[in-house]
Amino acid sequence: MTQLLRAQADFVACLLDESTPLPPGWDARRAAGIAVYRNAYRARLIDVLRVTFERTARLVGEDAFVQAAAHHLITNPPASWTVDLAGEGFWEVCTDLFADDADVGEVAWLEWTMHRAFTATDAVPMTLADFASATAGFDTGQWDGLGFELIPGTALRAVSFDLVKLWATLADPLNEVEVARLAEPKWVLLWREGEMPVFGLVPLAEGLALTEILTGGSFGDVCTILSNNVEASQVPAAAGGMLRNWIEIGLIIGLRPALQPTNQANRSNDTE
Amino acid sequence: MATISAYSGFGIGLRRDHYRDFIAGDVDVDFVEVISENFMVDGGRPLRVLEQVRQKLPVILHGVSMSIGSAHGLDRGHMGKLKSLVDRIEPLWVSDHLCWTRTGAHNSHDLLPLPLTRASMEIVCENIDHAQHALGRAMLFENPSSYLTFPQDEMTEWEFLTEMSRRTGCYLLLDINNVYVSACNHGFDPADYLNGIPANRVRQVHLAGHTPGDIMIDTHDRPVCEEVWRLFETARRELGDVAVMVEWDDALPSLADLLAELGRARQIAGAARAELPA
Repeated sequence: MTQLLRAQADFVACLLDESTPLPPGWDARRAAGIAVYRNAYRARLIDVLRVTFERTARLVGEDAFVQAAAHHLITNPPASWTVDLAGEGFWEVCTDLFADDADVGEVAWLEWTMHRAFTATDAVPMTLADFASATAGFDTGQWDGLGFELIPGTALRAVSFDLVKLWATLADPLNEVEVARLAEPKWVLLWREGEMPVFGLVPLAEGLALTEILTGGSFGDVCTILSNNVEASQVPAAAGGMLRNWIEIGLIIGLRPALQPTNQANRSNDTE
Repeated sequence: MATISAYSGFGIGLRRDHYRDFIAGDVDVDFVEVISENFMVDGGRPLRVLEQVRQKLPVILHGVSMSIGSAHGLDRGHMGKLKSLVDRIEPLWVSDHLCWTRTGAHNSHDLLPLPLTRASMEIVCENIDHAQHALGRAMLFENPSSYLTFPQDEMTEWEFLTEMSRRTGCYLLLDINNVYVSACNHGFDPADYLNGIPANRVRQVHLAGHTPGDIMIDTHDRPVCEEVWRLFETARRELGDVAVMVEWDDALPSLADLLAELGRARQIAGAARAELPA
């Protein structure tokens, strides 16, 4: 190990833990100096988390938030060159630390995904006309295999609390916080509309369908998911209605080439 | 490595609170400086704002995460993103700090001090060479404020900067507040620092406020103090026409107050220029 590698490793050890012995030859003045760096390190990163997780901080209160943030910095010390990622993993920390208040983990997840969506890659959503043109003349197999590219930053998760209301309530620090559990679980869908991340609650089936698409699933997979929730005869209309809505809200930026229908793939394997 | 010509404008940092004013294009500055890492992102509003401002003003990219003092070398991910931003914005120049921020596994997101040794010099120069080669341009490096020195130091900071600039061809960003803060913290004469810096390598000056105390801290959250203004007056006579920037990051005042602070820098620089022989 070079001299400088060792010196920097020692310095970081002192920065992270004040009980670490100071390097040989360090006097009281240097001890005071490293205390300045240590305090600045902690204060800066807690401030970064406070800005990213503003509503989570309001929800749990200042003292509890600072404790959670300090815990996060110890268990997940920042490694990336960008301080933007210092909050990575914090919503999971909140989920664990506030296990009796599951709304905290949900709000922290929402703030983190909004933070990431804010600087996601720019893309132009498809219009209904674009979509109609791209899919004109599709046969059933092509529809079944059709995949979708969603606008960068799109994220989904199942939630138990009315995050729409909670988000609005937490916008103003003077508001009294109302935490309302949903009558039935839903999914929160987050995407970027122009420059701003937005979100809304969607029914369970739609959340599952979009999750399938995010992980590479096709329109046929969407129809399969819906078939568990609506009459078989209503599946095409229900799936078409959802798809139309996704296009209208600017969620879809492109189509992936239709895959070969499964039965044809099987048949070609049989002939080998 | 290409030279960086002297540029004699006056500027401030582009901060979110002032985006609208800058986009409207009615802010009386010659350039803006931005924290590079805030714009090294995939997309979204920050980049769009910066591009709009760039259409009206020269932009300086000032980084905080290059970590040229890191014994682990440069971060390829960081350099790749910075190169993309440089290509996109075509800045007046690109700067960072004489410091280190990270080890292999951990990033402090702070400008940490280096032992001023021959061994550090080798690593710093190697990292600067890599960075300037990767960006295809010479860079500026700023003297940091520091809160401790190392027992193993073998030279002064101004000697280190002089040698570093000579060996790599990089230029210097002289932060006069940092000179003052470090001088108070470590007991040297700031005049020695200013006299020791190669004036012909300095392309930019930073002015900022700090928090007084037993250890002075560079906080960028208040006006420039009188001692720093006096040092600027002295430095300006030596440096001639260089870019001058007022840094203010926390407890941001109104744009009018910030521009008033910059106005004082203009006035001092103008007076110093008038004293120079024709």
